[in-house]
Amino acid sequence: MSEKVAVSLKINGKEVTLLAAPEQNLLRLLRENGYVEVKCGCEEGDCGTCTVLLDGLSVKSCVTPACACEGREVWTAAGVSRQERIGRLLRDNFAKYGASQCGFCTPGMMVTGVNYLMNNGVPDRQAIRAAISGNLCRCTGYKKIIDAIYHTAQELRRETAGEGML
Amino acid sequence: MGYQFITADSVPHALELLERYGRDARVICGGTDLMVRLHLKRLPECVFINIRNLEELRYIREEDGMVCIGAGTTLSTLENSLLLLGKAPALFQAAQVFADPNVRHSATVGGNIGNASPSADSAPPLLAFDGQVVVARKDGRRLLPIREFFTGVGRTALEPGELVTEVRFKPNPDSAFVKVGLRNAMAISVVNIAASVDLAQDGTMKDVRIAVGAVAPTPVRAVCAENCLRGRRPEEAVIRQAMDAIQTDIKPITDVRASERYRRIVAENMMRRVVLKACRICENEGGAGR
Repeated sequence: MSEKVAVSLKINGKEVTLLAAPEQNLLRLLRENGYVEVKCGCEEGDCGTCTVLLDGLSVKSCVTPACACEGREVWTAAGVSRQERIGRLLRDNFAKYGASQCGFCTPGMMVTGVNYLMNNGVPDRQAIRAAISGNLCRCTGYKKIIDAIYHTAQELRRETAGEGML
Repeated sequence: MGYQFITADSVPHALELLERYGRDARVICGGTDLMVRLHLKRLPECVFINIRNLEELRYIREEDGMVCIGAGTTLSTLENSLLLLGKAPALFQAAQVFADPNVRHSATVGGNIGNASPSADSAPPLLAFDGQVVVARKDGRRLLPIREFFTGVGRTALEPGELVTEVRFKPNPDSAFVKVGLRNAMAISVVNIAASVDLAQDGTMKDVRIAVGAVAPTPVRAVCAENCLRGRRPEEAVIRQAMDAIQTDIKPITDVRASERYRRIVAENMMRRVVLKACRICENEGGAGR
């Protein structure tokens, strides 16, 4: 077995130093250290439930080398839905529109949704579909997930318009 | 010995590490291919040389009429590049349908060609542009035509100690890319194909370059099909001849994604579609074929 090395990174706004094997993926590193909201689905980059924000971009943590995260910033679904305003709004809309059925894809959908909204995501169902195209929901509850992201985008747009008037 | 992971802090540092570890070294950047192979236990023990932090390998710029793309540039940067949209639509379109948006945040051009999958989506556009690969090593660098870069499934002309630092090509706005996969995202191509056409005033194709993936051990140029089209107009009869001709250019296999027969049918129909799209005759659909 390869020797573990120390990896210092910021997770959900907190500086931590964790031990990672050279061949380990970020997903396992997070789960081993208690961030079990990051779900392990296919572990081959196909399903998207392990999606996290890495330096502000949504990536699949199962195909991200843990050791490559040294000095970087990671946000998980739990982190963004508690601490980031866009995440809190989206979380509430996931609940409001019933966007979580069995719940397994939800963490990845939340993070991908937050990434979409942070990057000037417009309330456009087609664009939202494309944005979440790499996240599988096997309950096939896509419509409600798209609804939740769509309405959050609308709310954010309304707010920005309101600020403009002030 | 186990695996080792070393992060390079500059290109010279990476080249020094590559020289030191030779055949044991394996360059890693986005990790979207290598991490899957690790998970499937299909990656022998090695020393990962991590080049993810090398910002000097992330750029798209124009130099003397050539488009130069740093090897560490992500597919998501490509799909947001106005330069590529205007001047190299084949590569722009390939980036748009590459894997999925989240993988595109990590996956890089250098990684996609270095991994040398027969179905790599960035390969057909680069081949259709007759591009070059800039390869660096500790004591110098060389330019390799992309046509000579792929040597087999997962094999390239790279030697131990060498690193792909850039791909470059002469762009062509009359170019296009088409892909057929089994789902809309995260699809490994059943067939992917790119065309780049030099159109004369009278509408004849002065030159045409077609490259197709997932139908041979490496992405290949469809030379026989090109010969049928060169000097002629993209008319029905001409395209039908080229559709027959592409069958001698390709050598597909049957695998989990598709049968040989299906790939042959798809390849000729996609060739028709991509040539018409490159000539801007029909932007999206080129008809279903015969």
